[in-house]
Amino acid sequence: MAPRLPATLYGAAMTSTGTGVVASGVRRRFGPVEAVRGIDLTAAPGEVTALVGPNGAGKTTLLLVLATLLVPDAGEVKVAGYDPVTEPDAVRARMGWSPDVFGLYDNLSAREYIRFFADAYRLGPARAAARADELLQVARLTEFADRPVHVLSRGQKQRLGLTRALVHDPEVLLLDEPASGLDPRSRVELRELLRALAASGTAVIVSSHLLGDLEELADRVVFVDRGVTVGEHRLDQLPESTAARIWRLRALDTGSLVAALTRNGYDHDAPTPAGVDVRLANDEAAASLIAGLVRDGVPLVACQPLGGALEAAYLELTE
Amino acid sequence: MSPHGIATVARQEFRLRIRAGRWRVLLSVWFAVLLLFTGLLRGALGGFTNEKVIDKGIVLYGGLMLFVLGLALLVVPALAAQSVNGDRERGTLATLQVTRLTAADITLGKFAAAWGTALVFLLLTLPLVVYAITQKGVPVGRVLVVTLVLGLLLGTVCAMSLALSALLSRTTTSGVLAYLAVFALTIGTLIVFGLGTALTTEKYTETFTNPCPAASELPSGIPPAKRDELFAQCGQVQSFPSTRTRTDRTWWLLAPNPFVVLADAAPQLPPLTAAQRRERQAAEARGEFRTDARDLDPLGAIGRAVRNMRRPPGDTALGIVSDTPLTSSRVNPRRRLVWPYGLAFDVALAAGALLVTIRRLHTPSRKLPKGQRVA
Repeated sequence: MAPRLPATLYGAAMTSTGTGVVASGVRRRFGPVEAVRGIDLTAAPGEVTALVGPNGAGKTTLLLVLATLLVPDAGEVKVAGYDPVTEPDAVRARMGWSPDVFGLYDNLSAREYIRFFADAYRLGPARAAARADELLQVARLTEFADRPVHVLSRGQKQRLGLTRALVHDPEVLLLDEPASGLDPRSRVELRELLRALAASGTAVIVSSHLLGDLEELADRVVFVDRGVTVGEHRLDQLPESTAARIWRLRALDTGSLVAALTRNGYDHDAPTPAGVDVRLANDEAAASLIAGLVRDGVPLVACQPLGGALEAAYLELTE
Repeated sequence: MSPHGIATVARQEFRLRIRAGRWRVLLSVWFAVLLLFTGLLRGALGGFTNEKVIDKGIVLYGGLMLFVLGLALLVVPALAAQSVNGDRERGTLATLQVTRLTAADITLGKFAAAWGTALVFLLLTLPLVVYAITQKGVPVGRVLVVTLVLGLLLGTVCAMSLALSALLSRTTTSGVLAYLAVFALTIGTLIVFGLGTALTTEKYTETFTNPCPAASELPSGIPPAKRDELFAQCGQVQSFPSTRTRTDRTWWLLAPNPFVVLADAAPQLPPLTAAQRRERQAAEARGEFRTDARDLDPLGAIGRAVRNMRRPPGDTALGIVSDTPLTSSRVNPRRRLVWPYGLAFDVALAAGALLVTIRRLHTPSRKLPKGQRVA
């Protein structure tokens, strides 16, 4: 999808000297519950930063602070170079935010919806009209442009919601669970769109539980758990997992595979149509297993780790 | 806050309202009810079978406006009472707050849309107002003032309802409280005034000075003993204990009442011109039975009644039936106005409600009310 995007989509972000997002020591309490107890996070322009953690880890609360909706109890926050508490309007002009759950105006058409937010962001009538056309194309909603929003499917609504956050060419994009409810094809497209936005200089922060998607999307990942940052890594420099990981093996002849595994004392599960799962300590163990099976004449066709490196790191860092 | 921001929100709210509601039905019902009322009132005025009612327009217009106010007080709270918390429930408030619209833009835009809708209802009464004017006797100045005050009062109700929708997280609660607030302004002020006035009851000593009749005034043939007695008592001051209430201390409790404000703000009818007076005297001399609608003027009567409440003991009262004291001009009817206080209170209430709403919509927020989510 990326090549079909109009060049103007990235116009403003491309020329910006954005500074992304810098947050350190953010704390926020709701009554007796301290939802965020010290989150540090940086998101550089041109990069997609994944915000990963279990439910209730404080991801949404942190995004609300970044989105100028909540005053943090403590901590330093700069979004696009401005303080969201003291300079909210400057932040809002440069930041797009889409919450995990949001409503659309059912009686408006998709085009009217985008035009309304273009007005709310003070784009001016000419630019608002052009922007609506561009974003309808980006969200693949052009053919629904003048139909009421309530006829849209859930995925289409999700995409329309995303256009709202993009309407003013933000330097910083904050997305809370943007892929929830999207079908696989829409998720691929969302990924491509976010990569394209990052390539044009936008600082993108995505919170998501879809670790497989994030692995292909994100440049960096920030792990949060129980309101604190527990890890901040480049995706290609994730910490080596110390726990045993599960590898899935498939052979032309499952019987000989199971026999060979049992003979060599590997910790394996009962075979399923998908293959046989084996617990291995690290990549070296996997390499020597494959070499051994081949030597024994097992007709091996596949050997792959289940779950990505991100999932392994996630399980390691959070409880 | 900017005109562009307010206009953006107001336009959006208007558009959503128009598409969501069954406005044609609602406005038709509204108009039909008012039409029925006007028809019945007109019929009642024609019902003085053996008497001619002159200047019927005065009664028709006054009655219609009081009825419009009453009916509008039932309709208008619904226009704004779920505005903010409804958006919050539907998940469309936070997405608005992160745009460049300020809390004031959102508040005033929503208020403008609600008030504008209320004024559409008011506008629909225009044909009936024109009809009342054709029935004679309604001064144009009165129509202008009453329309203006009615508009302001509906704005007050809109602002109060909007504030309640911002303060309370549940739409049903704010809806009920908006109607309770209207109840407090209308019936509540009346109850408080009544009970408050009862508390002002005081004992006082009424005095009476016996008159000294001139000899010529005495009826002829009065017994000499009786005459001597009268002269002996003449000039004597008699006093006896009595009680009275002091509404001049409690009238302000009634002042915010929308009906009081509307009726008292309506300018009193001008005194009859010399020509009108001559015409009426001539008709009386011909033995025609006529009812002057000036004597039935509902707005003027309520206005004079509340002005009389401010009267300190011993001061002259305005007549409730218009003609007597106005023409004798012993008491200036422009004294002891109640409506400026009531209207000022109501407008201040509206302004306060809007300020509260703006504060509630301000983001980033520091405190969240219990049970309320940001997004």
